[in-house]
Amino acid sequence: MQRIAVFGDNSFSLEAVSRLDLQRFDVLLVETDPARAEQASAQGYKTRAIDFRNDEALKSVGIGRDVTILFCFYSQDCDNVFLTISARALDKNLKIIAIVENPESAPKLLAAGADKIIDPYQICARKIHELVKKPDLAHLLEQTVFGRSDLNMAEITLPKGTNLENTQVSELKLSERYNLILIGIVNQTMGTELHFALDEKAHELNAGDVLVVLGPAREIKSFKKEVDDVGTD
Amino acid sequence: MLTRLIVFCAYWIKASVRYQTSKAFFYNLFENPQSRLRSYFDIFMTVLVMGSMFTLIHEVDHGATPLTEALEYFVVGVFVVEYIVRAWLYSDSHKIILERYEKAQYLAIPFSLSQTLAAVMVKKIHYMGSPLALIDLMAILPGYRPLQILRVFFIFRLFKLFRYSNSIKLFADVLASKRFELYTLIIFMGFLLFIASTAIYLFENPRQGGQVGQLFDAFYWAVVTLAAVGYGDITPQTTGGKWVTIALILSGIWVLSFFTSIIVAALQDKLHSLRENKILTELARYDNFVIICGFGRVGQEIARQLFKDGQKFVIIDNDENHVMTAKQRGFLALHNDASQNEVLENAGINHGAAAVLCTTGDDVSNVYIALTCRALNPQIQIVSRVNNNANIKKLYQAGANSVVQPYEIAGMLTAEYVGQPVAFEAIMGILNEEKQTLMATLEVYPDSLLENQKIETLDFKQRKLTLLGVISSNPVHQKRRSRYPVHNQHFYFNPEPDFQLRSGDIVVVLGRQYSIGFLHDQIEKSRLQIKMGRKHCNA
Repeated sequence: MQRIAVFGDNSFSLEAVSRLDLQRFDVLLVETDPARAEQASAQGYKTRAIDFRNDEALKSVGIGRDVTILFCFYSQDCDNVFLTISARALDKNLKIIAIVENPESAPKLLAAGADKIIDPYQICARKIHELVKKPDLAHLLEQTVFGRSDLNMAEITLPKGTNLENTQVSELKLSERYNLILIGIVNQTMGTELHFALDEKAHELNAGDVLVVLGPAREIKSFKKEVDDVGTD
Repeated sequence: MLTRLIVFCAYWIKASVRYQTSKAFFYNLFENPQSRLRSYFDIFMTVLVMGSMFTLIHEVDHGATPLTEALEYFVVGVFVVEYIVRAWLYSDSHKIILERYEKAQYLAIPFSLSQTLAAVMVKKIHYMGSPLALIDLMAILPGYRPLQILRVFFIFRLFKLFRYSNSIKLFADVLASKRFELYTLIIFMGFLLFIASTAIYLFENPRQGGQVGQLFDAFYWAVVTLAAVGYGDITPQTTGGKWVTIALILSGIWVLSFFTSIIVAALQDKLHSLRENKILTELARYDNFVIICGFGRVGQEIARQLFKDGQKFVIIDNDENHVMTAKQRGFLALHNDASQNEVLENAGINHGAAAVLCTTGDDVSNVYIALTCRALNPQIQIVSRVNNNANIKKLYQAGANSVVQPYEIAGMLTAEYVGQPVAFEAIMGILNEEKQTLMATLEVYPDSLLENQKIETLDFKQRKLTLLGVISSNPVHQKRRSRYPVHNQHFYFNPEPDFQLRSGDIVVVLGRQYSIGFLHDQIEKSRLQIKMGRKHCNA
């Protein structure tokens, strides 16, 4: 179970946390304002109220120890930069994800040590643009993949000794066997880049490859089961 | 009997489609400021007026020739037709007749034909009395050769040019907007001239040794001096006259500078609306453009994307800095309040706009803008941004078709990134069109390549495309598996090989740009071929 510490004082933190799979992640909401911390804990989340400018306080919530992922969701870019710098100094391997208010702050956050920058306004703009230019696709994505409906995009890592080893991608036939569509593959031996399934027909699967599939949650589960079960045989 | 005939004619005209279309055509030709046709007509008329003036000048030097006479008749002919058509366009006589007739019928009072015709005539006379119509009439008069005195009216042909040019109208508007200041100045100038000419007449009388023998000379001298022209044909000789001159010259400088400043200030004020007018005329030429209300972070990003697509759009923002930024980037931007009916109407919400995007950072403004837009145009697509979850419902109630929440999507993506980084990159890559692979929709048109085809026969794999599913509202497919409701329709995920496409369905595929483009072209071609084939059959 990975521990995530979420720093921030806007609705964004709650939104992100509500989307996380709480069985896989142990989430701790960190607030500056004790009143807001109480509010969040009333909603059933683990909460702490600390001052993020203090390194000792950061250590007290587990940064540098067992927290593996850090969300910097302050609405001020300078706060996020400060938190990123402090946290990076405490833990070299921490995965830091930060939001950015002003696009000019993105390079600063990266320089401070953030791993991933999320620009809510840019994403929102892209979404609106999509709604205007390709309304059919936008509605489709909104109500299926992005919505809380049962159609999901999922990634499945092939374990060691999997039965699918040395299978050609074209022989997987996921759409017939599982009602799943294979979108892409990350080829373990060729780095972390995603290759779309269309261009990779002749690829032979290896342990460690990641398959990105689209389909109903139930089908994804049963495919995952097949992949994992065979591995333990 | 006559009454019945006239009423019958009025009804017939009301019902006639041909009458309506021809009237609409002439309206577009002569009056409609947004019509292309009118600008061509204006250019044609300007050339005609200039031509007639040059003919006149030629006649003065060389006398009349048959060619110039023919040209003159042609010009006068065009003017007469224009005058009559404009009078016809000015009011709908049949409506006046019918209105009065129906009122009389309703109230069971006798219908008076003479009064009705009088009302019709009053309308037309009202038109004839308008300044522009008078100019038109005066421009025709010199065409009547036997009366040489009418040639004076040739000058009205030049005035006629005003009708066809917007800049003169603008200048008149500028003067009109500063009416009070100009009146004050003119009254002051009148006093000044009166005092100065009386004074110079008294001082510079020939008996006193001066040159001003008449009151008119005194007035002429005062005007020449006041305007800082000073020909010097009349000069003051006496000491008193010199003092008057000094005073007049000094106040003349003051009056001139005051006059200039009024005109400059008025032009400055007008410049804003002039620029706005230019933008609006440019917009009027487009259709399917997008109105972006709010040029903040989200608005700027959308504008950038739309610009990249070559999609036309206009920005409305009431923050001067935002408008400046937009203009610097070469976008059309109006500095105004997007919740005003007039602003949105001018921006073309009812002519040409396809969508309105409410992208201000304030939910209250977004709701208000969405509501205003929906009231003005029930069909237009409205997409709004919302910051607070609690306001989503309000925006839908206000009439937005789609509502986008920056925090929600970003929150979702963050969660996705943490849980499934690879899938996240895949989604983002496809969405942002950063990779070569993209998601696209292809519509199944009647009689096209895709209609009534089964998925297996289409063989998307061979075409290097991944079929994700089919969007359809056709009840034929209802029994199929993996059905997801999407915006009044259904999305059939991963359809079975025997799934048969019907016209109106939308196929969702994933693939490279070329594969998608190739299939798209094939579909278009198949449509055209079938159409051509039909034509052949009909022939």
